Amino acid sequence: MTVEQRRKLENLTALVLSTLAAAFGLFWLIFILGDVLVHGIGALNADLFLSDPAPPGIEGGGLRNAFVGQIMITFFATLIGVPIGVLGGTFLAEYARGTRFARIISVLSDIMVSVPSIVIGTFIYALLVRPLGHFSGWAGSIALAVIMIPVVLRTTEDMLSLVPWTLREAAFALGAPYYKVIMKVVYRGAATGILTGVLLSIARVAGETAPLLFTSFNNNFFSWDMNGPVASLTVTVFQYAMGPFEEWHTQAWAASLLITLFILAITILGRAIIKWRYRS
Amino acid sequence: MTQEIELETRDLNFYYVGGVHALKSINVQIDRNLVTAFIGPSGCGKTTLLRCFNRMHDLYPHNRYEGEIIFQGKNMLIDGIDLIRLRSSIGMVFQKPTPFPMTIFENIAYGLRLKGYRKKPELFERVEQALNDAALWQEVKDKLQVNAFALSGGQQQRLCIARALAVEPEVILFDEPTSALDPISTAKIEELIVELKERVTIVIVTHNMQQAARVSDMTAFLYLGEIIEYGQTKKIFTNPDNKQTDDYITGRFG
Repeated sequence: MTVEQRRKLENLTALVLSTLAAAFGLFWLIFILGDVLVHGIGALNADLFLSDPAPPGIEGGGLRNAFVGQIMITFFATLIGVPIGVLGGTFLAEYARGTRFARIISVLSDIMVSVPSIVIGTFIYALLVRPLGHFSGWAGSIALAVIMIPVVLRTTEDMLSLVPWTLREAAFALGAPYYKVIMKVVYRGAATGILTGVLLSIARVAGETAPLLFTSFNNNFFSWDMNGPVASLTVTVFQYAMGPFEEWHTQAWAASLLITLFILAITILGRAIIKWRYRS
Repeated sequence: MTQEIELETRDLNFYYVGGVHALKSINVQIDRNLVTAFIGPSGCGKTTLLRCFNRMHDLYPHNRYEGEIIFQGKNMLIDGIDLIRLRSSIGMVFQKPTPFPMTIFENIAYGLRLKGYRKKPELFERVEQALNDAALWQEVKDKLQVNAFALSGGQQQRLCIARALAVEPEVILFDEPTSALDPISTAKIEELIVELKERVTIVIVTHNMQQAARVSDMTAFLYLGEIIEYGQTKKIFTNPDNKQTDDYITGRFG
C-alpha cells in the first residue's frame, strides 16, 4: 500500500468512526426530545395551567401549583445566586487578579460546577431543612442558588478577563476610582457575556430535580408560601412518572415538555445574545 | 522668555517586577505649554518614563519607583498621594485608540461625571466643547448617540483626546498616539497637538522621528533607560552634542 492510499484509508476510518459516534449521540437526543414532544403535546390543555391537581382517579386537574412553584423557586434562586456569583467573579477577575487565592477559588468553583446536584440538595437539607424541621421553598431556592453561584462566578470572571486592560488603563487615566472603572466601563464591555452566563445558569438549575427533593419537596396544593413545601415541575415529573395512575403519566409528559421548552427558550435566548454581540 | 517648569523628575529610577532596572537616574524638566518629545529605540524606556508621570505603573503590583517627580511643587512619588487627583490633572492618550464601549456622548461624559458634572445642559455644553477642541465636533455632531466603535481609527483617537481634554488637565501624555493610524489621521492629530499646547503641557512618546521634529519644542533622546541628550528639538535634530544621538537621528542605529 502506498503512502497515499494509507493516508486515504486513515482519513476514511476517522471519518466513519466520528460520523457514527455523532449519529449515535444524535439518535438518542432526537429520540428523547421527540418522545417528550409527541407525548407532551397531546397532554397540553388549558386546565394544565389553570387548575390544581385533582385527587387520583378523578378526571381533570392541572399543575398550576407546580408552575407557580417552579417560577418562584427559580426566581428567588436567581435573585440570590446571580448577585453573589457576579460579585464573586468580579472580585476574582479584578481585585484579586493574578493572586494564588483567586486561582484556588477558580479551581474550587470548577469543581463545584461538577459536584452532583444531589450532594448540594442533601447539604441544604442538613443545613436548613432538618434544623428547622420542615421543607421549604426557600431551602429549594438556596439549593439552586448554590448550584448557580459557581457557574455565574466563573463566567463573570472569564468575561471580565476578556475585557482588554488598555480599556481599564484609559479609565484610570481619567482619574476614575477602581469601582467606577468596573461599574461603568468593564461591566459594559462584558455585559452580554455575563448576561449569557446568567441565562445559561438559570437554564441549568431550572431542570434540577434532586436538590429540590430534599429541600422544597412537593406540595399537592397551590401555595405562595416559600416557608412551606412548594411544588415544582421537575419534582412533579419525578412523582407522577413513578405513580400508578394514567392521568399522572400524561401530566408528567406535559410537564416534561414544558420544562424542556423553557430551557430551550432560555438557551436560544443566550445564543441569540452571543450572536447579536459578535455579529460585526 | 523664561519657561515655567510643569513637571520635573529628580534622580528617577524605575524597576519593573523582578527588579528590571528600566529607568536610570532620569533628570528631566518638562516646560509648561510646550510639546516635549521622548524618542529612542524600542525598549529604551520612553513609554516607561511617560507612564511614571501619571503613575500608571501602580496598576500592576511589584513595580517600584525611586527618586522624585515634582508636579505643582509636590513630589508625586510619596505615599498617600491622591492618584485620582493626579490622574485627572495629567491625562493620557494611548497608542491604540481606547474608546469605551458606549456612545460617543457617554465616552466624554464619563470623565465629566467623574469630575462632578451632573446636569444635562452642562454636560452637553462641555461635551460639545471637548469635541470641538479635538476637531471632531463637525464629524460627530449628528451621531452623538452612536456607539464609539463605529468611528474610524483616527476619529476614535481624536475622541480619546477630547475625552482627556474634557476633564481639563494641566498635562496630557501621548503614548505613540499615531502609530496605529493612517497618514491623514496622523496629520490631523499632529496639527491638534500643536494647537493644544496653548492650553496644556504635552509630553509625547514617538517612534517616528519626523513626528518629533514636526510637533515638539523639546526632545529627549533615551537609550537603555537613560537620557542621553535633552534639549531644544531644533538643536537635537540639527546639531546634537552626543554621538549616539546623532547616530540615532540619522538612522544609523535603532
